Amino acid sequence: MLRSNTMRHRELPLSADSSNLFLKVMISIAVFLFAVTLAGVLSINSMLVNWNSSILGSLTVQIIPVNGVDKLKAKNETIVQEQRAVALLEAMPETQKVTPLTDAQLEQLLKPWLGDDVDLSNLPMPRLIDVKLKKGAEINFMTLAEKLATVAPQASLDNHKLWLNKLINFAGGLKMLALSILVLVIGITSGAIFYSTQTSLGLHKDIIEILHLLGAKDTYIAQQYAAKTALLGFWGGIVGVLFAIPTIFVIAHLAQQIEGGIINEAHLSWGGWTAILCLPLFSMLVAMQTAYYTVKRTLEKMM
Amino acid sequence: MSNTPIIEMENVSIRYGRGPEVLRNINLSLQRGSFHYLTGKSGAGKTSLLSMMYLAQKPSKGSVSVFGNNVNFANRNALAMFRRRIGVVFQDFRLLEHSSAFDNVALPLRVCGMDEREIRKRVTELLKWVEIDRSTSAITSTLSGGEKQRVAIARAVINRPDVLLADEPTGNVDNDIAPKLMKLFVELNKLGTTVVIATHNENLIKEFRYPTIHLKNHSLSIINPEDGDEYAEI
Repeated sequence: MLRSNTMRHRELPLSADSSNLFLKVMISIAVFLFAVTLAGVLSINSMLVNWNSSILGSLTVQIIPVNGVDKLKAKNETIVQEQRAVALLEAMPETQKVTPLTDAQLEQLLKPWLGDDVDLSNLPMPRLIDVKLKKGAEINFMTLAEKLATVAPQASLDNHKLWLNKLINFAGGLKMLALSILVLVIGITSGAIFYSTQTSLGLHKDIIEILHLLGAKDTYIAQQYAAKTALLGFWGGIVGVLFAIPTIFVIAHLAQQIEGGIINEAHLSWGGWTAILCLPLFSMLVAMQTAYYTVKRTLEKMM
Repeated sequence: MSNTPIIEMENVSIRYGRGPEVLRNINLSLQRGSFHYLTGKSGAGKTSLLSMMYLAQKPSKGSVSVFGNNVNFANRNALAMFRRRIGVVFQDFRLLEHSSAFDNVALPLRVCGMDEREIRKRVTELLKWVEIDRSTSAITSTLSGGEKQRVAIARAVINRPDVLLADEPTGNVDNDIAPKLMKLFVELNKLGTTVVIATHNENLIKEFRYPTIHLKNHSLSIINPEDGDEYAEI
C-alpha cells in the first residue's frame, strides 16, 4: 500500500524510549493536580463574586447608645457621635448617599419585636446610618472601622460584612496560592519534559548525526520529538482528567456537608468544567512546545 | 559561476582536542564534474579530509568553501541545504539499523520533503539496480555487510548529488559487484557529479584511471594517471 504524502516518517525510534512511561505518569499526575487546583480556583472565584455582590452597594453603621446616669446627656452624646460619623462618611469619595435613620424610622424597625405599646423614648436607642455606595466602589471595612472609632467610639460597622470582608481577603489569598500552584505544576512538568528530551537526544545522537549529514534541518528532528511528546502529553492529560473528575465531585460533596451555606456558594460553572475537560489539549500543547524548543536549543550547539 | 570550485580548501589544518595536527595547511580545489581518488596510509587523514568536505566538522585553521560559500560563516539551515547536495558513502555505512533498506535509501528524499509516490518509484528502481530488491523491507541490521554497503551507496546517490564522497565504497562488496558500483560512480560523474573516492583498492585505481589526492605526512599532493611511476606507487 502506498503511504500518503501527509504521513510523517519518524526515523528516530522515540516510542521505545524508556523515559516515555515516566513522562506519561508525570504528566498524568501534573494534569490531575492542575485540574483539582483549577476547579478550586474557579470555585473560589465564583464564591468571591457572590460574596462581593452581597457586600457591595451599601453598608450600615450603628452608634451604640452612650451609657450614663444623665439620660439626656447620654442621648445627646450619642447624637453627637452620630453626626460626626455622618460627616466622616459623607466626606468619603466612595459614598453616594448617607442617611441617618430618624426616631420614627427606628421605632418602625423595632415594632415587630417590641410591639406597639412600648414607649421607646425611655429606652437607650441605638442610632443607625444607612450608607449607599457609588457603583463599583470598593471599601476596606477594616480601615473604615478604625476611622469611625476615632470620631465616634460608639460606632460599629455591620459585623456580618466585616467578617465577610475578612473571608474575602482570605479567599483571595487562597486563590493566589492556587494560581501559584498551577504555575508551579506547569514549570515542573516542562522541566521534566526538558530533561527527558535532552536525555533522549543523547541516546539518539548517532541517528541525529546521520539525519543532519543527510541534510535534515533542526526543525525536521524537532518535529519528530514534538509529535511524540504531544501524544504523551495528550494521553497523560486524559488519564489525569479521568482521575480528577471523581475527585472534584468528592470534594464538592464534602463541601456541601458543611453547614452555613458559605462553601455552598462555591460551584463550578459549565465554563469551568469545559476548561477542565480541555486540559488534555493544554497539556499536549505545553509538552509539544517544550520538546520542540528543547530540541532546537540543544541542536544549535552541534555543527 | 561555472569556474567557481565546487569544494575549496585554503590553508586548512585540523586537530582533535590538544592532539597533533592530522592535516596541515591543506590547499585543495575541486572543480565541478571532476573525479578523484583519495589515498594515503591509515591515519593519514583521509576521513578527516572527507568529513570537512561533507560538512561534519569545521577546520581548526583555514577556510572551507562548498558551492562557493565559506562554511565557516554559514548558518545551520544553509549547512543543511549544502549537505542535501552532497552524497556520502561512509566507511561504516551509518545506516539506520532499526529501519528497512527502503527507508534508509528514501531518507535523503524525505528530508527534502519529496512526494511519497515519487520516493517509492525512485527508491524501488535504485534498490533493484544495486540488487537489494528482494530485501527492501528487511530491517537493515539483518543485512550482510555487502548488502549494507550497497544500501549505503544507494542512499548516497538517490537524490543525484552535486558531490559524491565515498569512503572505501567497495570494501565489503564482492569482486563482481565492485566494478558495477564504480561504473555507477563514473556514470554519475559523466552527468556532472563531482566524485571523490577514498580507497585502498589498487585494482580499482588502475582500472578506472583518474587523478589521485594523496595524503602523506599530513600534507596533500595531486597525482595524475600520466605521472607514471608515482601513480603506480599509490
